[in-house]
Amino acid sequence: MRVVIADDSALLREGVAKLLEADGLEVVGRAIDGDDLLLKARSYKPDVAIIDIRMPPSQTDEGVRAAEQINAELPDIAILILSQVIDVGFALRFFSERPEGFGYLLKDRVLDVDDFLDAVKRVARGGTAVDPAVVSQLLGRSRPDDALAALTGREREILGLMAEGHSNQGIGRKLFLSPKTVETHVHAIFRKLGLEASEDYNRRVLAVLTYLGGA
Amino acid sequence: MTKRSIGIVGAAVVIAGGIALGLVGYDFLTHGDHAPWWQAVPDVAIAWTFLGAGLIAWWRRPSTQIGPLLLLVGLALLVRKLEYTDNSALFTIGFAVSGLYAAVFAHVVFAYPSGHVRDRLERWFVVAAYVLALLPVAVLLAFDPRRSCLFTCSRADRARPDSLISVTGDQTVYGVFHVAQHIGAYGVAGALFVVLIVRRLYRSSPRARRRVGLLMVAGLAAGMRSVTEAVYSFGPRSDVEGLTLFSIQGAVQIALPIVLLVVLLHERLARANVADLVRDLAGTPPAEVAAPVGKALGDPSLEVAFWMPARRGYVDAEGLPYELPGPGSARAVTALAHGGEPVAALVHDPALLEDPRLLESVGAAAQLSLENARLHAELQAQLLKVRESRTRIVAAADTERARIERDLHDGAQQRLVALALELRLAEHGGAPTDPDTKILLRSAVDSLQLAVEELRELAHGVYPSLLTQSGLRAALDDLAGRTRGPVVVVDAPSERLAPEVEATAYFVACEALANAVKHSGARLVEITAAVDGPNLLVTVLDDGAGGADPGGDGLHGLADRVEARGGRFWVDSPAGRGTRITTEIPCAS
Repeated sequence: MRVVIADDSALLREGVAKLLEADGLEVVGRAIDGDDLLLKARSYKPDVAIIDIRMPPSQTDEGVRAAEQINAELPDIAILILSQVIDVGFALRFFSERPEGFGYLLKDRVLDVDDFLDAVKRVARGGTAVDPAVVSQLLGRSRPDDALAALTGREREILGLMAEGHSNQGIGRKLFLSPKTVETHVHAIFRKLGLEASEDYNRRVLAVLTYLGGA
Repeated sequence: MTKRSIGIVGAAVVIAGGIALGLVGYDFLTHGDHAPWWQAVPDVAIAWTFLGAGLIAWWRRPSTQIGPLLLLVGLALLVRKLEYTDNSALFTIGFAVSGLYAAVFAHVVFAYPSGHVRDRLERWFVVAAYVLALLPVAVLLAFDPRRSCLFTCSRADRARPDSLISVTGDQTVYGVFHVAQHIGAYGVAGALFVVLIVRRLYRSSPRARRRVGLLMVAGLAAGMRSVTEAVYSFGPRSDVEGLTLFSIQGAVQIALPIVLLVVLLHERLARANVADLVRDLAGTPPAEVAAPVGKALGDPSLEVAFWMPARRGYVDAEGLPYELPGPGSARAVTALAHGGEPVAALVHDPALLEDPRLLESVGAAAQLSLENARLHAELQAQLLKVRESRTRIVAAADTERARIERDLHDGAQQRLVALALELRLAEHGGAPTDPDTKILLRSAVDSLQLAVEELRELAHGVYPSLLTQSGLRAALDDLAGRTRGPVVVVDAPSERLAPEVEATAYFVACEALANAVKHSGARLVEITAAVDGPNLLVTVLDDGAGGADPGGDGLHGLADRVEARGGRFWVDSPAGRGTRITTEIPCAS
C-alpha cells in the first residue's frame, strides 16, 4: 500500500511516516505544502494521500483545495484529512461528492496507533473513516424536520458508528451485540430513513449521508 | 446739522427742484407745440418716477451708488426738456445732456445692486456710453450751422434756437456727427447693450438671475427700443409707426423705474427675512442651521462649515472634514469670525457677494446659533474620533485573537502532537524495554493527548479558525454542533462577508447563545443571520425564561462590540417568554 503524506510540520510528517512504515506500508512521498502534494500525487499515484489542512503559504485551507484538486484530477487516490481543526462543512461537502475512499481524522488520533492504521487502510481500500469528534459535532447539529427523529437511541448509536466507517462486525464488537442483531438494527434504520432495498452498499452510504446531514 | 437733517433737506431740495423742472419742461413741451399733453404728461411722469425711485434707494441703501445714479437719470430726463425752449442758453444746456439719461441708465443696470460695475467689458461699455452721450452733442453744438443755413437746414433745425457755444457753423461736420450720434449712440450702443445684458443673464447664477432678471428684461427692452429708434431715424415714418414707437417707448420708460422699485422692494424683503431668521433659528437643531440661514439669504444651496481650532480646518455639521471651495470655484465663501476667532464659513452663491450688507446682517443675526452649532459640530467630530478609535480597538483585539489561535495551532499544538507521537513510537519501539518505562510512556502519551484536546478547545474559543477558513455559516454551524443543552437551529448566508463583519456576527451569536445556555434554561435557540440592505441582521431567539438584563455583563459587552462596528443592538426579554436579541451590523461592501 503506497502513501503520500502532506504536512508542513516535519516532526509530524516523519512520525506518521515511521508509524506507517513500521506497519509495512510504503511512504512514497512527503510533501510540505499543497503544490508539493499535487506534484507528488501526480508522479507517484499513491493509494492514499494523508493531508493536513493548514499548510503554507497562507496557513488556511491549502489542504482542502489540494484535496479537491486531487479528487477532480486523480479520483482513484483515496484521501485522508489529518487536521487539528474540524471543518464540518468541508467534511460534508466532500462526503456528499465522493463517499468512497474518504476520511477525516483529528491529528491526535494518530496516537491511537492501531485505530489510526486501521483507518488509513480502510480509506485506502475505498472505505470511510470519520473522527468521533466530527461525528459528535454533526450529532449536535439540529435538523428541525428530522428523518433521524424516528430512530431509537440504539439505532442512532449504530448509525453513528456506521458513519465512523465501521462494518457490522466492528459495530457488533464495539457494542457487544451479535452481528445478527446489528443487521436487524441496520435494516430498521434503512426503513425509517426511507431507503428502499437495492444495493446494500449504496444504502449504507446514503444512511450515513442522511446522518451527516449532507444528503 | 445732523446727517439725518441734511438728508431731509437734500430730499426736499430734490423734490422741489424736480417738481419745478417737471412743470417747466411740461410747459416747454406743450407751448412750443413739440408734443401734445398726452405725450408730455407721461414724459414728465417717467422722470419723476426715476427721481422717486432714486430717493427711496438713497434712503434705504445709502451705501450703494444706485440711489444717486437713479436720481441722475431722473434729473437728466428733466433737464433735457429744456431743449424745447426758445432761450439759447437753456436750449444749449438741454441739448448738451439730451443723451445723458441713457448712459446713466446703462450704468445703473450694470452696477445694480452694489453700485459698482464689476465686469471689465461692462465697465468699458458704461464709459463708452458716457462718451457717446456727451461728445457728439458737444460737437454738434460747437459746429452748429443754423445761423448760416436758413434755407438748407432741416425743418427741425430751423425751428430751434441757436447753440450758445457755437464756434463755427460747419454743415458737413454737423451732418456727419448727427448721423454718427444716431448710429453710434442709438444703434450700435443699443445693440451692444442688448448683447451685454443677454451675456450677463446667461452667466448669472440662478439666484442672481432671479434678483436682477426683471431689471435686465427692462434694460433689454430699452436697448431694443434704442436700436429701433436708430433704424427709424433714417427713413420716413408714418403716423401709425410714430404712435406705435411712442407707445412702446412710453411703456418701457414708465416700466423701468417701477421695475427698479419692485426689485428694491424685494431687497427690502430680504432685510425683513433677517428678522424671520432670528425666529427660525430659535427652533432649529444645531446640525440644521444651514437651512434657515440659506432661506434668509435666498440661497437654498448654502452650506455652513465650522471652524475646528484643534485641527486648523473646517468640518461639516456632522463633524466630518470639510474642504472649502478654492478660488475659481463656482461657490463663494464668506468667513464669519467672533472676537478674532473664526467661527464658521458660509459657502454660497457668489451673487450674494454683491450684497455684503445683507450677508453681514445675516451673519450677525445667526452668530449665536452658529457658535452653538460650531460647538455641536466640534462635539460630533470628537465623537467620530472616539468611535473610530473604538472600532480600531475592537479590530485590533480580533486580529490579536486570530494571531494567538494561529500561534497555538502552528506552534504548541503541533509540537505536542509530534512529541506524543515520538513517545508512542518509543513505546512501540523494537528494543525490549522495561515494563515500568512502557507504562510511563503510555501515561505520558495519554496526558499529552488530553493536553492537545484542551489546547484545541482553548484555541477554538479564542478564535474559531473556521471563521477565517470557511465563513460565518460554517462557524455558526460548528458553534451549534458544539453546544450542549438546547437544540440550536442556524440559518445564515453561505456566502462570505467582510472578515470584521463575520467576526462581529459570530461573537454576537456566541455571546447570546452562551447567555441563553447559562441563564435562561432554553430548550431551543434559533440563530438567524441575513443580509438586509446595507446591514447584516443577526437575531438570536430562545424559548427560555426571559427577563435578561440588557445592562448585564454579557449583554453589555455584546452591545459594545456591535456599536464599535457602527451597528445597533436590541434586547427583548419579557419575563417567562424567551429572549430575542437583535443586532444590526453595517456590512455594505
